[in-house]
Amino acid sequence: MLHYLLSRIISLLLSLAVASLVIFFVIEIIPGDPASFMLGLNASPETIASLKAELGLDQTPLIRYFDWVSGLVVGDFGISYTYKVPISELVVDRIQVSLPLALYALLLSTAIAFPVGLIAASKRGGTADFGIMGFTQLGIAVPNFWFAMLLVLFFAINLRWFSAGGFSGWDAGFWYGIKSLTLPAIALALTQASILARVMRSALIDTLSQDYIRTARAKGLSQRRVLIKHALRNAMIPVLTILGLQFSFLLAGAIIIENVFFLPGLGRLIFQAIIQRDLIVVESVVMLMVFAVIVVNFLVDLTYAMVDPRLRRSG
Amino acid sequence: MTLLSVSGLNVSINEEVILKDVEFIIDQGEVFGFVGESGSGKSMTALALMNLLPKGSDRTGQIILDGKNLIDLSEREMCSIRGRDIGMIFQEPMTALNPVMTIGNQVAETLIIHGGYSRSEAMTIAREKLARVEMPPNRFSPDLYPHEISGGQRQRVCIALAIALRPKILIADEPTTALDVSTQAQILDLLKLLVKEEQMSLLFITHDLAVIARMADRVAVMQTGRIVEMETTRELFQDMKHDYSKKLFAASNYIPETKTKTGGGSFLEVSDVYRAYKLPNRRILDKQNYNVAIRGVSFSIRKGESLGLVGESGCGKSTLSRTILGLDPLQKGRITVDGVEVISGRKMPHTLRKKMQVVFQDPFGSFNPRHKVGRLVAEPFHLLAESLSASEQRERVVTALLEVGLRETDVDKYIHEFSGGQRQRIAIARAMVIKPDLVILDEAVSALDVSIRAQILDLLNELQVQHNLSYLFISHDLTVVRAVTDRVLVMQGGKIIEEGRTDRIFDHPQHDYTKRLLQASPRIPTEWVTKETNQGYHTGKLSEKEFR
Amino acid sequence: MRIPTQLLFGAFLSIFFLVLALVSLIWTPYPVEVLNISEKLKSPEWKYILGTDHFGRDILSMIMIGARTSISVALVAVGIGMLVGVPLGLAAAANRRSIFDDLIMRSNDLVFAFPSLVIAILITAVFGPSAFNAILAIGIFNIPVFARVSRGAALSLWTLEFIMAARVAGKGKTRISVEHILPNIINLLLVQGTIQFSLGILAEAGLSYIGLGAQPPTPSWGRMLADAQTLIYTNPRLAFIPGLAIVAMVLGLNMLGDGLRDYLDPRLRKVRQ
Repeated sequence: MLHYLLSRIISLLLSLAVASLVIFFVIEIIPGDPASFMLGLNASPETIASLKAELGLDQTPLIRYFDWVSGLVVGDFGISYTYKVPISELVVDRIQVSLPLALYALLLSTAIAFPVGLIAASKRGGTADFGIMGFTQLGIAVPNFWFAMLLVLFFAINLRWFSAGGFSGWDAGFWYGIKSLTLPAIALALTQASILARVMRSALIDTLSQDYIRTARAKGLSQRRVLIKHALRNAMIPVLTILGLQFSFLLAGAIIIENVFFLPGLGRLIFQAIIQRDLIVVESVVMLMVFAVIVVNFLVDLTYAMVDPRLRRSG
Repeated sequence: MTLLSVSGLNVSINEEVILKDVEFIIDQGEVFGFVGESGSGKSMTALALMNLLPKGSDRTGQIILDGKNLIDLSEREMCSIRGRDIGMIFQEPMTALNPVMTIGNQVAETLIIHGGYSRSEAMTIAREKLARVEMPPNRFSPDLYPHEISGGQRQRVCIALAIALRPKILIADEPTTALDVSTQAQILDLLKLLVKEEQMSLLFITHDLAVIARMADRVAVMQTGRIVEMETTRELFQDMKHDYSKKLFAASNYIPETKTKTGGGSFLEVSDVYRAYKLPNRRILDKQNYNVAIRGVSFSIRKGESLGLVGESGCGKSTLSRTILGLDPLQKGRITVDGVEVISGRKMPHTLRKKMQVVFQDPFGSFNPRHKVGRLVAEPFHLLAESLSASEQRERVVTALLEVGLRETDVDKYIHEFSGGQRQRIAIARAMVIKPDLVILDEAVSALDVSIRAQILDLLNELQVQHNLSYLFISHDLTVVRAVTDRVLVMQGGKIIEEGRTDRIFDHPQHDYTKRLLQASPRIPTEWVTKETNQGYHTGKLSEKEFR
Repeated sequence: MRIPTQLLFGAFLSIFFLVLALVSLIWTPYPVEVLNISEKLKSPEWKYILGTDHFGRDILSMIMIGARTSISVALVAVGIGMLVGVPLGLAAAANRRSIFDDLIMRSNDLVFAFPSLVIAILITAVFGPSAFNAILAIGIFNIPVFARVSRGAALSLWTLEFIMAARVAGKGKTRISVEHILPNIINLLLVQGTIQFSLGILAEAGLSYIGLGAQPPTPSWGRMLADAQTLIYTNPRLAFIPGLAIVAMVLGLNMLGDGLRDYLDPRLRKVRQ
């Protein structure tokens, strides 16, 4: 187990290192001169020079890279060019919206997908299965931002149960915050829940055809008990894989959904930064998102080992 | 006293008749054997008793266990019968256990679900039961997972969980078919012992007549869903009545017709060969580990000779055949074919490759399902120096197909249109089409039913005589090796531990391992083999066939 | 053999939009570059089957050209993914456990850490938004998908004996990959390709919705939805139509993919066993 952990940690650090190199290369090297890029065509040479000095662009790329990375490690993301405040402050502010939203959506999607997948698998070929398969097929096809618009139209404009968008912060109270994240979370969760339920169903059906299920049946376990006690845990491996992948889709989806609901999250931050050509913000926030995805996949890898004893020994 | 009585059992799956009017009785403490070829319905009979038939099955008749007709029971009532009154073990121990559950828990589960035991009580009994199947807790912790133990040990665990509640009857469906001979012998002994000591009945299913002879008190021979003959084991073997039983018996002891062979000089020379595999590193920064598969093997095959290579799984047989074919590199030593050295990989000249071909075990995985037979058989033409025209190719492919007993029209068929035996003929045609001198038969008849096996052995024999072929006959099945080879190598742990003329090795083995192997290999007791039933077995063909 | 309804329905929807896109190349009911404010926000009628938008453009024409935009972006992106990913996956499988295999798999994992939207953001941040960059972003994301799928399928084929037989016949790894492996995984790639195609349509819609895809005046479904958002109170129709178009197209492709898998798989299984 220790060796598995160690090898996973090493690969985690390696992925982070390579990812940061890629991002640095795309943002700081490809444009040639990030300062004049950020300021646009009409900037005077003086402003460009002063921005260059401010960003430390007179240094060699290698030194700039190490400066950037060592800054990231201690939480110093640099200073936003447009907002003129430390990016870490912006991030801390925005993450209070994005992280709860992602978790909320993940929770919703698993809470829906698990029982639904289980029912479909156990009633395979029946009406319930047919209905679930049809519904999830539709769920996958609906673009989440369009679904979000429909939710706004129906629940916010017609029924007035929720506000159409915006987020007033957690100061107004926990439930108030949750309420304003509910429609966005539902919009995000629909597709993911549909995918997860289908994966769950097919993983369970696959597992149910294995030899050890027959052994368990020969022991006298009922169909239902076999499903819960033997099939479920073995089916968790593909389900976990998808769950890990979904996190990155949730993160990406959030960039769009935050725009639909005017939520002041990381997605909106990065989106505005692109429009304002604030490369420093883009660079650091992208790195943060990639970091989150890599760490989540690392955690998924660790859970694999918990589920599957065969992974515990080999690296 | 009658324990189980089955009468008028009919089973059909999706309208197709699988079992027809099956009728038998098993007494208390009796070992009852079912024997037959694949598709005869012997496994389906077992599943019908358990009511675990595949979806779409229909079952009628009477299955009376202890006065209760199992056919009338609801699924819920059946659940309480399974595992408590009837235990069952299956063929594939590698996949029969849940990979994410400890072996102790899997045994304990039987005890827990049938009620009456707390978790800790169940674990205590599970430990005892594991000890009962010779997996004592001091050597095999109940906390082990299935992947941490061998196939034979897994089968022991399966037995333990099947007998945990001392069922009245244990069903064993080909329980040793996937195991090596020595493991098979141990499992068979264990089953016999348990049946006796726990006073269970055993329903034992196998395709292997020798195994059934060793295990069963009474035997039913099955063919296409019917029982064709049912007798006590001794009487059955001494006085077979039904034609099918006789055929089955003759086929399983079949020795191809006598042949006269032209001798020849040494063709393949293997001298002091080593082959090691890199193991994937378990830990980071560990030094590279190697698995030495072959350690210092030397032997030779003469032209026209059949050399047998026997050994249990993992002994290095297959690796050896791959190195000879030039598919795997060797670390040390030399292999020469007709005086030319074999080098693995691209550098190996086609003129050399052309002299050797191979036939594998699996008649299903051996062909690209997307190509027609014509193209499949033509594949080795790649090795010819001059390329053949399409008509020449076709002509040679047809000749090869005719030679192995197939038809010209088969050229345009796909592989899924053929049966297992026919596929093996196609594999032989593919090997023969460029007229090689040496053919490696890697378990080439192991997956076939006995009657088909006999035909393929005949074919191989004919081809050998006609083309003066050398065979390297690799098999775990000692009976077949004995029947068709001139000389035998016995391999263990990557080494050849004994070598000699086939009759000498089988009649007077020298090495302990060879002795153990022969001892373990199931055999029909000689006193049961009467003249009538034994067509050609032990009739001195080996001496007629003597080489040189 | 009976063709399953799912496959038929999926093929019908997919072909419907494909035809729509192709027709738009030579004919649309109205030109979409011309704004006709006097005809704005017309409800569906005989003249404008799906009505007009707030600039008086014919919505049917916009949907047709939008289909063309979506399909071409997604198709080219899937093409990139296949052309790069499949050879990489086949080569990795042929050289199993080599440094090359390791490198391919590691880089795959790395690309998976960048959701296609994040790749798009990186690209647009530097090169500015365009349909080409959307293709690039979705295409890059598709590469590891195809590499992984083809490697996995190829690995299980490499253990089969017919590959051994081909090696005994003196054939090299490249030749075996092309002659024996590829034909046996083509069905799988077809199915995966259909699914990636539908994901590409969704991704394109998302990117153009936030303005990182095809730029105006080129109509795209995502762009139409973005425009409709401000008018959703008064004219929800403008949001319904492009949304339904996306759903129908994606649904069609997914059903086509699933249908193909069910249709092709059992036959394959019969051949193998």
